[in-house]
Amino acid sequence: MDEVFEKRLPKPEDLNAMTEESLKAAFAGESQAAEKYLVFAERADEDGYPNVAKLFRAISFAETRHARNHLRTMKGIHTTADNLRSAFAGESFEIDEMYPAYLEIAKVQSNTQAGRSIKYALKAEMDHKWMYAQSRETVLAGKDIEDKPVSVCLICGHTAIGDLPDKCPVCAAAKEYYRTF
Amino acid sequence: MAGPFLNTPPQPEDKGVMTAANIKAALAGESQASQKYLAFADVADNEGYPNVARLFRAVAYAESTHARNHLSVLGGIGSTADNLKAAWGGETFEIDEMYPAYDAVAEMQGNKSARTSIRYAFKAEMDHQGIYDSTLKGVEGKKDLSAVPARVCPVCGHTVIGDAPDECPQCGTVGVYFKEF
Repeated sequence: MDEVFEKRLPKPEDLNAMTEESLKAAFAGESQAAEKYLVFAERADEDGYPNVAKLFRAISFAETRHARNHLRTMKGIHTTADNLRSAFAGESFEIDEMYPAYLEIAKVQSNTQAGRSIKYALKAEMDHKWMYAQSRETVLAGKDIEDKPVSVCLICGHTAIGDLPDKCPVCAAAKEYYRTF
Repeated sequence: MAGPFLNTPPQPEDKGVMTAANIKAALAGESQASQKYLAFADVADNEGYPNVARLFRAVAYAESTHARNHLSVLGGIGSTADNLKAAWGGETFEIDEMYPAYDAVAEMQGNKSARTSIRYAFKAEMDHQGIYDSTLKGVEGKKDLSAVPARVCPVCGHTVIGDAPDECPQCGTVGVYFKEF
């Protein structure tokens, strides 16, 4: 199917600096729109508008296509081994730099809800970092990772490979509230 | 969301200016990570790593829960009518300001592929603006949309309510590949 799309997708390109800045900003915008619309879809379901929810999910998918196109044009999509390395680097930055700094500031400003939102993310990124590191080793050896389910807590994003805990070790959600992939 | 959880997602609060700026930056970061991992999952599938693809999709979902938590803390989740207004506002900004400015720069710099990526998004945002506008009118009268499916072009994000065209008017992809919601 991808060969069918290949010729119509924007191609990776050597970009001038200002155009690259534009596409980076557009990628940030499309990504946030896609995520917001998924949240709005859940809210529409709760409000009793299932067809509006479906619309938000469809348009979220459209924004995901735009995000992918911008990322591809900026040469941000590589082989799986390289993608795992860039994913690992992103998680490492969030763990080592971004979230600890944000958490300190939230403490100084006594923003407890912001602090929770930051801590939930920080804890999950630690799971992701080692999963990506181990997966990269396996892929570099030319093998896929083991065929095991991956489950995610829908409150805090805690991520587990294989068996589920009885409750989330980070936010205590019951195990029924994990989504399994 | 209450009941089985000791914790619920973080809630809106009055924030310090620095914390508000940080949570906005974290929302941007989580949204971009989620969208990157979805693109990386497609590559992993194409390269014959279905279990790595599953890991990327699960972690993308985890980042979506973080994006939702940050958006909640920022007070960015309203009623469905409010969410439709916010979505319409975002699309309008991209149509009136962002993409025309970016396209002018990319044209001046001769970055053809970037222009394609920008044009695909710009055209689809016009679809979305119109659909959100008519949907909001219904929801303000407490009416859900009709159950007619939305369909989205997997290459350029062109969005229609109802049947897919024979081929996408923006990018030429055959209508059979449109994704139905």
